Amino acid sequence: MTDQTLTVNQVTKRYGSGSTEVVAVRGISLAVAPGEIVLIMGPSGSGKTTLLSMLGALLKPSEGEIRLNGNAISSLDERRLPAIRLHKFGFIFQDFNLLSALSALENVAIVAELAGVKRSVARQKATALLEVLGLKDRLNFLPEQLSGGEKQRVAIARALINDPALILADEPTANLDSKIGHEIMRLMRKIAKEQGRSVVIVSHDQRIKDIADRVLWLEDGQFKEVVTMATDPVCGMTVEREKAVRLEWDGQVFYFCATGCRDEFIDRDKQDKVNDGSLR
Amino acid sequence: MIRLAFRNLFQNKIRLVISVGGVALALLLILSLDAIFTGVERRITVYVKNSSADIFVAQSGVRNLHMASSSMPAFVRSKVKAVPGVDSVSPIQYVSNMVVIGDERNLAYIIGLPEKAAMGGPWRVSAGRSRPDPGEAIIDRTVAKNSGITLGDEVEILGEEFEVVGLTEETASLVNSVAFISEDDFTDLRGDPGTISFLLVKVKDGELPASVARRIQARVRDVTVQTTGEFANQERKVVKDMSTDLITIMNLIGFLIGLAVMALTVYTATLSRRAEYGVLKALGASNRQLYRTVLAQATLSVLIGFLVGLIITLILSFIVDGLGLNMELLVSGVSLVKVAGLSLIIAGFSAILPIRQITGLDPAAVFRGK
Repeated sequence: MTDQTLTVNQVTKRYGSGSTEVVAVRGISLAVAPGEIVLIMGPSGSGKTTLLSMLGALLKPSEGEIRLNGNAISSLDERRLPAIRLHKFGFIFQDFNLLSALSALENVAIVAELAGVKRSVARQKATALLEVLGLKDRLNFLPEQLSGGEKQRVAIARALINDPALILADEPTANLDSKIGHEIMRLMRKIAKEQGRSVVIVSHDQRIKDIADRVLWLEDGQFKEVVTMATDPVCGMTVEREKAVRLEWDGQVFYFCATGCRDEFIDRDKQDKVNDGSLR
Repeated sequence: MIRLAFRNLFQNKIRLVISVGGVALALLLILSLDAIFTGVERRITVYVKNSSADIFVAQSGVRNLHMASSSMPAFVRSKVKAVPGVDSVSPIQYVSNMVVIGDERNLAYIIGLPEKAAMGGPWRVSAGRSRPDPGEAIIDRTVAKNSGITLGDEVEILGEEFEVVGLTEETASLVNSVAFISEDDFTDLRGDPGTISFLLVKVKDGELPASVARRIQARVRDVTVQTTGEFANQERKVVKDMSTDLITIMNLIGFLIGLAVMALTVYTATLSRRAEYGVLKALGASNRQLYRTVLAQATLSVLIGFLVGLIITLILSFIVDGLGLNMELLVSGVSLVKVAGLSLIIAGFSAILPIRQITGLDPAAVFRGK
């Protein structure tokens, strides 16, 4: 068994053959831990969509292996993949991709029904999820009656309804304004951290860096540079580890946005230790 | 997924009207043709059924009225009367000929009725008398109305002029009508005294017509004996045999129109939702679940079309009834089962192309914004 939600090992994807062969993804390896948010960025044509499709069992790699919770999904028979996608993955798309004829509630419930959940139970689960996501008053609205942010919340609820281990999001803020996009991303971070779900996001949106635990740069089908993110334990801000103020304290490493937060952290810890008697 | 099919179907009202309307019209064609011929079958047997007879005795080999003639010696009557179980016997004269009114020639069963005939006479008279004397005729009311004549006017039957003394109801169909004259006039004009066409037999209380018919058949030579039900069935069969090819062709045309309309609308409906089916496939819906949705959508459309077609046919049948035409539209159970079966076949066939479309969908395309 593995403690990683997703393990990608030397995955390559080729299209065509001979002189027309195109390598979209070459020899990529990646591990995503439970509750971790990984942001994959890169220029157009860098292989982001191909990689995301392979991670979501929508596309088979030409080489390499993809494991979800220790189980190899890249070698599974095509006929078994829909069930894996339904139960193990939550998908969030750039264009929301809600079914136009169904209400918000039905858009979420139908995914549970596809997984074999009874209609009444599916509707209960969908209602609860949409209420948590602030859409209590929009349950019976058709997609065309919802704002962009509301549509993406419905899409998030749909992604969560079958309790997936991994959420895959393709440009989730692309069609949202700055404020709503940020709000949606904070919501995704909350879900990841509180529910221990792993999230892989493909995006061009630099602002998403704030909520990611790790940022990967994909170019020509390969990761070129790895940016690891950390959360300042004092102000809660997400910071790039390489650029942050680093502190080794009691055998652990902490990262801060500035020396002020670091000093406050040290002072607080000392005070805590005085209070509980471990430091006099 | 059935709900999705339902919602998809009802979301685009124009497409719904086109698909349901197209199917409804195609099925209406089949249903109404069936109803017309069922009506003709009923009308054509209406004389037999309203004759008050339990048994029909005819010349050997003659089993119906339509396009047939029967001639037996008059003494057969007393032989039949002597068979145990027979209560009464009424002879009638019959020939398929014309009621001529001016330039109009109306095909008709000409019935020659004996004076005081207990059976075989008119059963619903809307005006005038129910029994003709020599020189008199009783004809169908709609035939008289369409030709602009009424009681007291003259018509030509078997080359002779007759005064119209009675008008009857339910005695005309698309095929012909029934006209009554006296037996004496009939035999005079046909020049064949001493013969009768059919014997109408009433059995005694407690006797079964079928048993008595078998007894007559066994004891009287050179006759064909049938119960009234059997005789009517033979009459129906003749009409059915004559119309089967026409009905089959029209059914085929209706079926092909319905299939074309349905296939096209389900195909375009699926095509317009191609992206949504792709999303469902990406989310994990199996091909089988998506096929069910398309099939359910096609079936729903066809069933609604079937109901609309049936309602229109029923409305038409009421309208035709009210117009007092020589026809009626009768929707039979057999016809309903047949058209419902055809509808399901249409639904199944029309879903084939969209299903092939879905099979070819690449779920990964959803990430490419297709």
